[in-house]
Amino acid sequence: MTGKTKDGKEIFKQSKIYMPIPQQNGRGDRMGRGPYEKSGMLRDTSIPPHKTVHETFDIAFPMEDVKRGDKIEKVIKSGEMTVDVELWYLPYGNKQQDPFLWHKYTKDVKVTTTGK
Amino acid sequence: MRRFKVFILIALCLCIPVLVFAAQTGQTKKANSIDELAKMYDVSSCKMCHEKIYNEWAKSLHARSIYGPETSGRTAATLKTTIINGLMEWPHSGVKKPEDVKVEHLMICAKCHLPQLQDATDKVAQEIVKNVYAFTAGDEKAAEQLEKLNINCLVCHNRNAIIHKWADGYPEKDAVYGSKDGAHPAPMYSKLKKGPVQKEAILCGQCHGLGPNFELENPSQCATLYGTYLWAYTAEGGQEKCQDCHMHKSGLGHNMQSYRSKEMQKLAVDFHVEVLPHWWRDGTKMIPQATVKVEIKNRAGHAIPDG
Repeated sequence: MTGKTKDGKEIFKQSKIYMPIPQQNGRGDRMGRGPYEKSGMLRDTSIPPHKTVHETFDIAFPMEDVKRGDKIEKVIKSGEMTVDVELWYLPYGNKQQDPFLWHKYTKDVKVTTTGK
Repeated sequence: MRRFKVFILIALCLCIPVLVFAAQTGQTKKANSIDELAKMYDVSSCKMCHEKIYNEWAKSLHARSIYGPETSGRTAATLKTTIINGLMEWPHSGVKKPEDVKVEHLMICAKCHLPQLQDATDKVAQEIVKNVYAFTAGDEKAAEQLEKLNINCLVCHNRNAIIHKWADGYPEKDAVYGSKDGAHPAPMYSKLKKGPVQKEAILCGQCHGLGPNFELENPSQCATLYGTYLWAYTAEGGQEKCQDCHMHKSGLGHNMQSYRSKEMQKLAVDFHVEVLPHWWRDGTKMIPQATVKVEIKNRAGHAIPDG
């Protein structure tokens, strides 16, 4: 997911990976890659059947320092942000080979820029 | 002469159980080439009466199970990786070079990608290897040759249609296993038989598996899907079968798809996002932020993704 200011500048980027993490030859601490060397599971972050996963992200709006009298105050630089959340299926672990975008969510959000 | 007769008798005694077993299991002469194996499992005649189903299947990955997706041929490429990074690296595999690869070696992948390879000689294994190498070097004819081999009507409706062979019998050579008993108007497959597991998840579970395939000399692990279906779906009360979603609810029929298909994507996952912009106060400090809450629900009867 990303957060971008109105001018398109990316101010936040984070991703989560859901997948079984297979164990090389069913031993040790190394993940196996090819089916021929996988024989176990080190960990499994795939989404279990009929289960819901919840993720929460906090994205700070960008702030800047402004001199007011003798003081330097932090004030909000932009009160607008575009939030993009995408759910990709990456069968080969990257977006170069056969990537599939399953879901996409976009929303422009604002916070008030006046008040105390 | 008497010794010779005794020898003949002993030889016959030894042969009869083998012949009976071969008859029971429906074994025939093994294929010596890709073309011969493709002919043994030729399903072009099925299209004459089951055109819609045939055309659905032709769009599926089952129809190119050794080659892989049309756009990438990724399965064939992974076969090559298996030979180079697996078989040729393992000191006890007996494979020092691609020319050493036999059927037993390819069964690491072929157990599911081409189970009928067991009905072929090592010559076919070698031909597959040569075509895999040629395909990855850009030879389109090699790709075409590999695409002749697949999981087709005869695999699911005959060869692999019976799992418990001691309980249910071996698949009959002239039978098509489906939803009912009866006659089947096809010269080579004149019987229609009700398959004991045709509508069951276990039919798919044969390949969309449990994890390591321990029956192999060197176990591989491609799919763990049926494992999660058993232990995390049915264990929680889930009752649907693979066929319910992948064939019926999706409307895809024999074009059984997974993550590539829009239909399956919609069926598989609910995706919901909420964004709450607000000011957060920490004493005298004010921080403007957006809290993004993401909810992903797996509606499938197995974990997503598989692997």
